[in-house]
Amino acid sequence: MSETKTESILDRIAEVPADHFRILKISDLGGDELLELSKFMKLSLSKEDMLAVQEIYKKWDREPTDVELEVIAQTWSEHCKHRIFGATIEHSVDGESETVKSLFKTYIYDVSNRIFDSKPGFVLSAFHDNAGFIKLDDEQAICLKAETHNHPSAIEPYAGANTGLGGVIRDILGAGKGAKPIGSLDVFCFGAPDTSLEEMKATDVIHPLGMMRGVVRGVRDYGNRMGIPTISGALQFDDSYIYNPLVFCGTAGVIPIKDIEKEVKPDQVIISVGGRTGRDGLKGATFSSAALDSTSHEEDQQAVQIGNPIEEKKAADFVLAARDKGLIEFVTDCGAGGYSSACGEMLETCGGTINLDNVKLKAEGLVSWEIFISESQERMVLAVKKESLPELQELADLYETEMTELGSSDGSGILKVTHHGKTVCELDCSNLHDAPIRELKAKWEKKTEAIEAPVLENPLEDLKSLLSDFAIVSREPIIREYDHEVQGNTVLKPLAGASGDAPQDASVVRISGSEKLMSMSVAVLPEWGKTDPYAMGAACVDECIRQLVASGSDPDRIAILDNFCVGNPENEDELGALVETVKAIAAAAEAYGAPFVSGKDSFYNYFETEDGPVSIPVTILISGMGIIDDEAHVTGASIRRDDSVLAIIGNTGAELGGSVFARQKGFTNAEVPQTNFEEAFACYRKYYEANKAGLILSAHDVSEGGLAVTLAEGAFSGKAGLEVDLSGIPMDDDAGKAAMLFGESPSRLVVEVAPENLEKLADLFEGLPFAALGRTTSEHSNLNIVWGKETLINEPVDQLKSLWKNGLAQYY
Amino acid sequence: MEERPCAVLLKFPGTNCDEETARALEEVGFVTEVIPISALKATSLVGVSLVVLPGGFSYGDYVQSGRLAKLVTEQKIGDTLKEFRDNGGYLLGICNGFQILTQLGLLPEGSLVENASGRYQCHWVKLDKQCATSPFLTHLPDQFEFPIAHAEGRLVTATPEEAKAYRESGAAALTYTDEVNGSFEQIAGLQDESGRVFGLMPHPERFMNAADHYDPDWQSGVDGETSRGSGYYLFRSLFESVTSSN
Repeated sequence: MSETKTESILDRIAEVPADHFRILKISDLGGDELLELSKFMKLSLSKEDMLAVQEIYKKWDREPTDVELEVIAQTWSEHCKHRIFGATIEHSVDGESETVKSLFKTYIYDVSNRIFDSKPGFVLSAFHDNAGFIKLDDEQAICLKAETHNHPSAIEPYAGANTGLGGVIRDILGAGKGAKPIGSLDVFCFGAPDTSLEEMKATDVIHPLGMMRGVVRGVRDYGNRMGIPTISGALQFDDSYIYNPLVFCGTAGVIPIKDIEKEVKPDQVIISVGGRTGRDGLKGATFSSAALDSTSHEEDQQAVQIGNPIEEKKAADFVLAARDKGLIEFVTDCGAGGYSSACGEMLETCGGTINLDNVKLKAEGLVSWEIFISESQERMVLAVKKESLPELQELADLYETEMTELGSSDGSGILKVTHHGKTVCELDCSNLHDAPIRELKAKWEKKTEAIEAPVLENPLEDLKSLLSDFAIVSREPIIREYDHEVQGNTVLKPLAGASGDAPQDASVVRISGSEKLMSMSVAVLPEWGKTDPYAMGAACVDECIRQLVASGSDPDRIAILDNFCVGNPENEDELGALVETVKAIAAAAEAYGAPFVSGKDSFYNYFETEDGPVSIPVTILISGMGIIDDEAHVTGASIRRDDSVLAIIGNTGAELGGSVFARQKGFTNAEVPQTNFEEAFACYRKYYEANKAGLILSAHDVSEGGLAVTLAEGAFSGKAGLEVDLSGIPMDDDAGKAAMLFGESPSRLVVEVAPENLEKLADLFEGLPFAALGRTTSEHSNLNIVWGKETLINEPVDQLKSLWKNGLAQYY
Repeated sequence: MEERPCAVLLKFPGTNCDEETARALEEVGFVTEVIPISALKATSLVGVSLVVLPGGFSYGDYVQSGRLAKLVTEQKIGDTLKEFRDNGGYLLGICNGFQILTQLGLLPEGSLVENASGRYQCHWVKLDKQCATSPFLTHLPDQFEFPIAHAEGRLVTATPEEAKAYRESGAAALTYTDEVNGSFEQIAGLQDESGRVFGLMPHPERFMNAADHYDPDWQSGVDGETSRGSGYYLFRSLFESVTSSN
């Protein structure tokens, strides 16, 4: 590193900006100097990016202001622009090469557009707004958005998770002309709560237990105060998440269809509503586009803020009331990049002027760029007609939220920002969308092999240790801290059944003003992806859709979201795993006709420990929303009565890879089950028919822990004992007893049926994998699983339940 | 045409159960109006039969829950709520509303403090009706369930004897069947001497339909009706009390 050069750049930008901004002379800088500048200003722009910026300004024949550089850095950040999903990737699978030009376009956007075309009128908006909408009924549409807040949560778990949820709620308020948030989801990946201090290979990293408690409380205090039920979620534990915990927050909303389309036209007023702007939350977007290390915990504190949910609640009340009065032309939230992103997005085609002197500040002394890119929470930006201002001010007074005029639109196509009477930024936004396309290399080599079917020595003990595994135990301690029933619409709760504490597959909420209901579910299987990312992607889409269908949703009206978290994208193997996952979710989405309507990705989830870098495994969260036509179709996952018949839908294969059982037994390279999309979807359609006809009492998907855990969980309602014979169910010839009990072959459901309806159900499933496998009984309250004459498991359900129910509670 | 009685719901910044509570009130026959506190005037309650303080987190409840809401209400309308009660009006406080009514001194003395668990608790509870004559409870059976969702629902009184006296006098109109949050005498709801002011921690508005119950096979069995939830009967009782006393 050259001392003199660095100093000259530092000198140049260390000048006190007399006008609250400065013009930076970059035209004469070389690539390395530009990179120094980027690093010093924490722009997170690469050398290539900086050279491209230099080119743009050479073309314009002037030098940039610091505000402009910050705006460009925000616009081009991984967080906002998804550069890796747009990159050109040279990928090889087991030696076979291919070139992927934009993962996003090839596997998400194009696939989804084909599905939109095949289902006219179903998807009403996707990819361009803050959340995608699907049609609920003739009047209303629903939307869902999920985000990660990993880096902030790693540094400050409470505040990071708090503002993570706060931010995604604002996405919903800023979708269309303002959607009403009706339900939230939260998915966390942590190190195991019983991680010993010796296992932690870095200083200044928060222990998983503190991480979990902080994150849960952060979500709790925001969601509960906003009055949005937190209805869906999942937990995963793995050592690799010790340094980079993953925190996914999602929210669903509802909107009148007429309020989805929005447009900024010339001579509208741009207003800001909600919180004030401060120095808090500077550089969140660029900060989250880089990796963490121990110094992050000291240096980047100002990128993390504490939320103020009441401020947001007041702004939400204002936005929804203003929408209903027809006073909103355009609305978006202030998220990453603050006003620069929000105003940039609003004015990118129309153009207009923002006057920073108008911005209400938390403290004096902020310079121009700080005001423009501050990510202070709880702010919404609206475009409104001039004549609406008095009525809007009345609403702001009524709901006690602050409303400020920031500027106006003018049709020039130029984003102009003024401060203290000077122009501090003047950008033609249409020139900024062509960030240099990155070129990356990726590869994937098969990591699994067929293993000999393990001999089961003590299946009961195996089941017990599965029910106590962190991957399977009840999330009850967390769920109970979230208000999951506010709004009075939660029909199928995350814990339900006759005992009120048994696990369910999807959650279902009523929608005010509609006969139809919305279902929501999540699927995340990082263990699968360690050895077979393709299988992981396929199974996550399958599980998400299966859970929605099980709860009563129409399989032909489901939309999904993809949220990726990846370690180091410059590592070919890690990027290769990502490419394989993306291919799989695309294939699954297309086969199931379930389009992606929104998605997000988070990179650089790796950490420099004492033992070298630790990356997370490529993690995909698939979350989905479905539509249930009638409340009578809502179906839970808990056994409801004795003397009913149990049947299984779907085939069981021999593969044990990725399963919790395999992880416990140490079969880390066993073959992972693949998904047969066509057969699975045919089953889901038949199931839907059966459920509508009232043939299904309850249905539970087979997922982590396999069939034995599914059966146990169904019995946790305490309504009946179960007698099950596995010898006659649909299976591959080589599926041994371990795979039958604990394998996690996808696409399977266990359904409870009245005996008189079994034949009808069997007829429906003619030609598909389906078989009766047992019955429920009042004669005992055991889980009794046999293979012909051989008893595999026979244990009181109570005993099993207490393991499952208390597994996490003791650490919480 | 018969005039429907009017219920006003007070909305503070952070109140978040106003919509579903208004929906519940409408369902049993009330006309409702949600009034944000900024717009509240003493005259807002003219012609009103019922004032409801719905659940939520008024002003965030960062200070003792309900404290700021009390101060702002008194600043806005002074003793109007007390006069409203004295003139025959009904007041219902649910969850945060119960906390606010307690702060306002409209209910027997006591404080709602942090749950003994130290946690926010969202689950269903069994409740016992302790005062059969409460105008809020007439249609409910002796024992029923409602959901709770609160962090500060533990009712404490200056001395344990005071709480015991509430139970004996019927002021503690509603109690938890099991120990839930450390409330003295397991008190879940209180009424004042007139019986027209009632506060409870559980959320009746979340149990208007049988399908709201966690058990898909639950049925109330009240009046042979199968689709209604227990919450409906609280609001129905209230509606009948209000209309018969008008």
